[in-house]
Amino acid sequence: MNDLICRLHYPLANFDLAAELTVPPGVTVILGPNGTGKSSLLRLLAGLNQPVSGQIMLGERCLYDAEKQIFLPPEQRRIGMVFQDLALFPHLNVSGNIGFGLKMRRTSSGERQKKVQQLLEKLSIKHLAERDVATLSGGERQKVALARTLATDPQLLLLDEPTASLDPSARGEIRRWLQAVLTRLRIPTLLVTHDAEEVAYFRKRVVVMEQGQIIQQGSFHQLLREPASEFVARFVGVNYILGDVREQSGKLAFYSRGGTKFLAPFEQVVPGPAFMTVLPWDIALYRELPDGSPRNNLYGEIHDVVIFGDRVRITLAQEDKLVAEISTRGYLALGEPQPGEKFWAVFKAREARIESYEESPC
Amino acid sequence: MKRPRLFNLFLLTCGTALGILILLPVLALLLAASPTGLLKLFTQPQVLQALWITLLSSLLALPMIFLLGLPSAYGLSRCSGRVRRSLEVLLELPMVMPPVVAGLALLLAFGRRGLLGDLLNGVGLRIPFTLGAVVLAIVFVITPFFVRRCVVLFDAIEQKLEEAALLLGATPLQTFWHVTLPVVRRGLFAEGVMALAQGVGLFGVIILFAGNLPGRTQTLSLAIYSAFESDPQQAFSLGALLLLISLLLLATVHLLAPPEGGR
Repeated sequence: MNDLICRLHYPLANFDLAAELTVPPGVTVILGPNGTGKSSLLRLLAGLNQPVSGQIMLGERCLYDAEKQIFLPPEQRRIGMVFQDLALFPHLNVSGNIGFGLKMRRTSSGERQKKVQQLLEKLSIKHLAERDVATLSGGERQKVALARTLATDPQLLLLDEPTASLDPSARGEIRRWLQAVLTRLRIPTLLVTHDAEEVAYFRKRVVVMEQGQIIQQGSFHQLLREPASEFVARFVGVNYILGDVREQSGKLAFYSRGGTKFLAPFEQVVPGPAFMTVLPWDIALYRELPDGSPRNNLYGEIHDVVIFGDRVRITLAQEDKLVAEISTRGYLALGEPQPGEKFWAVFKAREARIESYEESPC
Repeated sequence: MKRPRLFNLFLLTCGTALGILILLPVLALLLAASPTGLLKLFTQPQVLQALWITLLSSLLALPMIFLLGLPSAYGLSRCSGRVRRSLEVLLELPMVMPPVVAGLALLLAFGRRGLLGDLLNGVGLRIPFTLGAVVLAIVFVITPFFVRRCVVLFDAIEQKLEEAALLLGATPLQTFWHVTLPVVRRGLFAEGVMALAQGVGLFGVIILFAGNLPGRTQTLSLAIYSAFESDPQQAFSLGALLLLISLLLLATVHLLAPPEGGR
């Protein structure tokens, strides 16, 4: 297999980048807040910066090994990288940009033109061939930048926030296009983003980075079910509540920072600092507290109502904050709650997932 | 709001005074030289020779300036910190050296009894008081200025462009040749013309290192100096001619320079 396997160490301004990662062929999304070292990781892989220690293997090839003192320069790594600002060559037209890598490899002019034509067709941008890159739209520039990179048959593809610089109207189209192009490639691809929607397009493999560390790897679904940090939870839209697990007369209970008591299955949880996660669609809203089996409930004021198509997201806040996602039908049945009205948020004990915190969060 | 207005008035006065200081002598020179006097210059073989030597020496110096200056400027723009500062000081040395002193220094380095004198004699090369000396003097004086301005050009290039080229498999040399140079080509062309313009006007360093030999090392600047003692009117006409050449080159620079990037 031509996996990328790397273990890297590199000091950044405020923290150290220390990442260990295996990337199989296909798209892996790297997700993380801004300034967390995602772009630095790509630069280290590309050979634009040199790590202080570690190793990078791409298939059988060793690109970097601190102990063996191997450091392949970027031009020998066969890694394709699309920069956030694309860096198209301003002095060449679209075909010139795409053919650049082949020209540098002294590919004959006929073969080069053939390859450029093939790529233009494959990526459906044939109409741009003779255009000056300065006249292209944001989305077109993105396509040309990827075509330029693919022309050299890279063995690893690095994409740095490919849609961040686009205006929202172009973003959706480029994401669909990227998805179509990237899923056809058979090479390891790392796509850096801090945008939740982008992750939803490439949901199979997600790597979450925070403060230079990889804190979680898994599918988008796993992130949703078991977010490893507040960032992940907020990012995927899961409720994340900090508090403590306390033991009272032999029974465990979770007390939020806001002082509300919650019940949960408490699997492998010990008394002490912990956090609780609840999926927004597992929460129901009521004007009056219903009777019945013991459930978790929180009484609070509606702060925010956002309607997305057939779903409605309602933020309820008092001492603690909970986001509930209900269907539009349910919303209408409740009499279209408005900000300022008071409601009960109710969820079953088994919908709450509680996990101990190793260290007390500050 | 009174003070700013007074201050603006002060700025305007200073600016106007400087403008007059620049334009008045230029105007005086152009007025002193009659069009017929200028045309008559082209019938004098000595003037044509001086013109030829001026242009030839500057044009011969230009490739050497580029050959030495461009890689040095690129290298310097890659440096940072103390290394860069010390190299920049080294570049400033010829810039602050009085031209006459520069001429003496060149004589002492490349002259028959100079540091390299024996070596040059050994291969039968005599530099002082030849056209070669004129060219070498121009290269010596102009290259540091050229390098300084090219460093600014190279510094302004987005580094991502070069990194993108490397990642596409271009070697550093290919990157320099196929990306860096083409991206700043307009600026480089303008700097080349600027170097020509500066070279055309050199005087002190040439008269000491290359002498004032009509037909061999006498450039227009030197011809003006010679003419001024015997025939001031001739000197004025020659001066106007040199001024017109400089103006022409200056106009070329500004026609080329402005739209860097963005085509």
